[in-house]
Amino acid sequence: MLTLFARILKVLNSEDSPWQIGWAVGFGVLAGLLPFGLLTILMLLLVCFFTINLSTFLLVWGVCGGLMLIFGDPLEALTWQYAQNPVFLEVLASTESLQLLHFHHTLVLGAFLLGLFLLLPLAWLTAFFVTQYRLRIMAQMRKWKVVQVLKASKLVQIYEKLS
Amino acid sequence: MIRKSGLLIFLVMLAVLLALVYVFAGFATRLGMVYTLEKAAGAEVNIDKVGISLAPLAIDIRGLQITDKDQPTHNSVSFARARAALEVWPALLGYYVVNDLSLDGLEFGSERRRPGKVYRGENTSAEEQIDLSQMLRLDIPNVDELLARINLQSIEKGQVLREQIAGQKDQLSGVKDKLPERETLDDLEAQIKALTQSKVENAANLATKAEQLKKLQDTLRQERDKVRQAKDELAQMRTGLVQAVAEVRAAGEADWRRLKELANIQDGGLAPLSQILLGNFWGEKIAQLETLYRLVRPYIPAEGGKGAEETAVAEPVLPNRILPLPYQPYPDFLIRNASVQWLVAGGEAQVRVQNITTQHAIIDAPTTFNVNVDKMPRLAAFTLSGDFAVRGNMTTNVKWDMQGMLIDGFALGSGDNRLQLHAGLLASDGSLKLVDRTVAQQAALVLQQPQFTASGNRYMEQLADLLSRQGQIPLQLKAAGEISRPEVSVRSPLDKVIGDALLGEAREKLAAVETQLRQQLDKTLSEQLGDESGWLATLDQQGADLDGIDKEIEAMLNAKLADVTSGVKDRIKDSLLKRREE
Repeated sequence: MLTLFARILKVLNSEDSPWQIGWAVGFGVLAGLLPFGLLTILMLLLVCFFTINLSTFLLVWGVCGGLMLIFGDPLEALTWQYAQNPVFLEVLASTESLQLLHFHHTLVLGAFLLGLFLLLPLAWLTAFFVTQYRLRIMAQMRKWKVVQVLKASKLVQIYEKLS
Repeated sequence: MIRKSGLLIFLVMLAVLLALVYVFAGFATRLGMVYTLEKAAGAEVNIDKVGISLAPLAIDIRGLQITDKDQPTHNSVSFARARAALEVWPALLGYYVVNDLSLDGLEFGSERRRPGKVYRGENTSAEEQIDLSQMLRLDIPNVDELLARINLQSIEKGQVLREQIAGQKDQLSGVKDKLPERETLDDLEAQIKALTQSKVENAANLATKAEQLKKLQDTLRQERDKVRQAKDELAQMRTGLVQAVAEVRAAGEADWRRLKELANIQDGGLAPLSQILLGNFWGEKIAQLETLYRLVRPYIPAEGGKGAEETAVAEPVLPNRILPLPYQPYPDFLIRNASVQWLVAGGEAQVRVQNITTQHAIIDAPTTFNVNVDKMPRLAAFTLSGDFAVRGNMTTNVKWDMQGMLIDGFALGSGDNRLQLHAGLLASDGSLKLVDRTVAQQAALVLQQPQFTASGNRYMEQLADLLSRQGQIPLQLKAAGEISRPEVSVRSPLDKVIGDALLGEAREKLAAVETQLRQQLDKTLSEQLGDESGWLATLDQQGADLDGIDKEIEAMLNAKLADVTSGVKDRIKDSLLKRREE
C-alpha cells in the first residue's frame, strides 16, 4: 500500500506533463474495462508509441481490471439490448477486421464504447487535478511541518529509493 | 509526443507475455483442468502433462484419469493422449474451430495403479441413474400396464367434452335470462286482443289504434328476435356437443385400434409371445436414449430443438455473448475431424466423427459419425454410422450392423413367468431416426442357438423347451413415438409356431387379456362421455320450448293484424254501401 502511494506521489511530482498522466489514466481505464485480447495489445502499442506515462497506465489498468466483475453483467445486458441494429450487425458481419477486434462480442463492444466515452473526460479531469495539485498543493505541502516530519519516515525512504 | 523507444518497449512486453504463455500456460491449464474436473466428478483427477504449442496452436493432454467415485480403485474415464489443434484465424475472430482432435486409449472403468481419492458422495439424481437389474426386469404386461402405455386419446377428448358441457350450462342460463317472460307474452297477447276486438269509431281512432298496434308489434318483433337468437345459440351448442361426442367416440375407437396393435390381439385372442415377452423390454431400451438427449440438450442453441426447461447453474465468470450476426463465417464451436481409439471389452473400437457442432446451418453439413469394432472376445463385428444435425429441430439418424455377440445368461420375467436364457449369440441390424424427442426405429434381431429354461409354470416350461429347440429366433422390432414412452412392436415368424404349440392355457390367458382390455376401454369411454345424453336431451327440450314460443309470437303478429285490417275493411265497405244506397 505504501509502495502504491509512493508510486502515485512519484508520478504526481515527476516531470511528466499533466496530459501525459491524464491520457495514461484514460487509456488505463479503457484497457482495464476490456477483456484481454487483440484490442488490449493494440492499446498497449499505442501507449508505448506515444509519450503516455507507462507506470500510471499499468497501475490504472490493474486497478480497473476488477471493475468489470462488478459492472460486467449490466454492461453486457445493455450492449445486447442496444447493439442489435440490423445495419450495425450487417457491417459487423461483412467486416472481418471488426470481428478480429471482437466487436461482435457484447462485453468487448460494451466495454470499448464505455471506455472510449470516458477516455477524454478522464484524461481532462486527471490533467486538471494534476495541474491544480502541482500549482496549489505540492509547493505548500513541502512547507508543512507534518510533511517535514514525514520526510524522515519510512514512506519517504521508500520514495527516495524509487527515485 | 512520440516515444522513440516505444516500439522496443512494446516488443519486449509482448515477448514477455508470449514467453509467460509458453512456459506457464500448460501448467496453468493442467491445474485449471484438474480443479474443474475434480469439482465435476467429485473424485481425484490425474493428468500427467498438458502442453500448449503456439505454432500450430494446439493443446496436448497426456495421461488423464478420472477416478470413479463409486469404485475408487477404477477410473470412470481415462485416456492416454488427447490432442486438439485450433485454427488460428477463426480463434482470432473469436470462434473455436478445432481442425483435428484425436483421443487415444480411451477407456471406461479401467483399473487404477492406486485408488483415487473421493471428495464427494453420491451426487447424481436417482432419475439419471441406470439400474441394470431394473432394465432387465420383465413381466408379462397386464391390462392396466397396456392401458398405461397407451396415451388414451379418449380421456383427453372426454375432458374437453366435460369442459364443453360445463361451459354450455353456464351459457344456457345466460340464454334463458335473455328470453321474454311468460307474463310479458301474456300481457302483450291481452293488449293485442283488446285492441283488435275493440270497435273502430272513425279514421282518427283507426290511426291511433294502428299506431298502438305497431308499437305492440315492434315489441313483439324484438322479443321474437331474442327468441331466434337464443335458438341459434342452442343450435350451435347442440352441434358442438354432437361433434365433441363424436370425437370422444372416434378417439375411443382409435385407442382400441392402437391397443390391439400394441398387444397384437388377433382373431381368437391369441397374441404373439414375442410382443408379450419383449415389448416392454425394448421400449425401455429405446427410452434410455432420452438419457443421451438430456446429455446433449444443454449444448443445443435455444432456437434449435425444443423444451429448454433445464437451466444452467450460474458460474462466476464475466458474461459475454456473440451478437446474432446475419451470417457468421464459423460456428461458435466446431471440431472438423475427431478420432477416438476406445479400448473396450478386451478389444478396441475406432470412432470417427466429422463436423461436431450444434450450428449445422452455418457449415451446411451434419455431424457424421462412424464406429467400427472388431475382433473382440465376445463380439465378432459391429459397425455403427449415422449423422446428427440441429437445424429446425434436432435430427439423428443411426444405422448399425452387429454380428456374433455372445450373450450372458439373464432372466426374462419373474416368479412363475420367469424364463431364463443361459446362453446364445445375438446378431442385429437396423436403423433409428430421432427427431427431437420422437423416435422411429426398426431392427432385425436374430438370437442364435438359444438355451432357455423355466420353472414353476407348465406353460413357461413348454415355451422354454420349444424355444431351446429353435436353431435361431428371428425378431422384428419397431418402435415409434415419444422417446420416453415409445410404442413398440415385436414380431417373429415363430409366433404362430409357438402359439399353435401352446394352445390352451396360453390361448385362454391371452383371450382374457383382450376381453379385459375391451371392457376397460369401454368403461373408460362411458366415464368420459358422462351425462352427455342427458345434456343433449336438455338442449333438445330447450330447443322445442323456444320453437313453441317463436310460433306463438308469430301467430300473434299475423293473426291479430289480419283481424284489425279485415274489421276496418268491413266498416269501410259498409259505409260505402250505405252511401251508394243513399
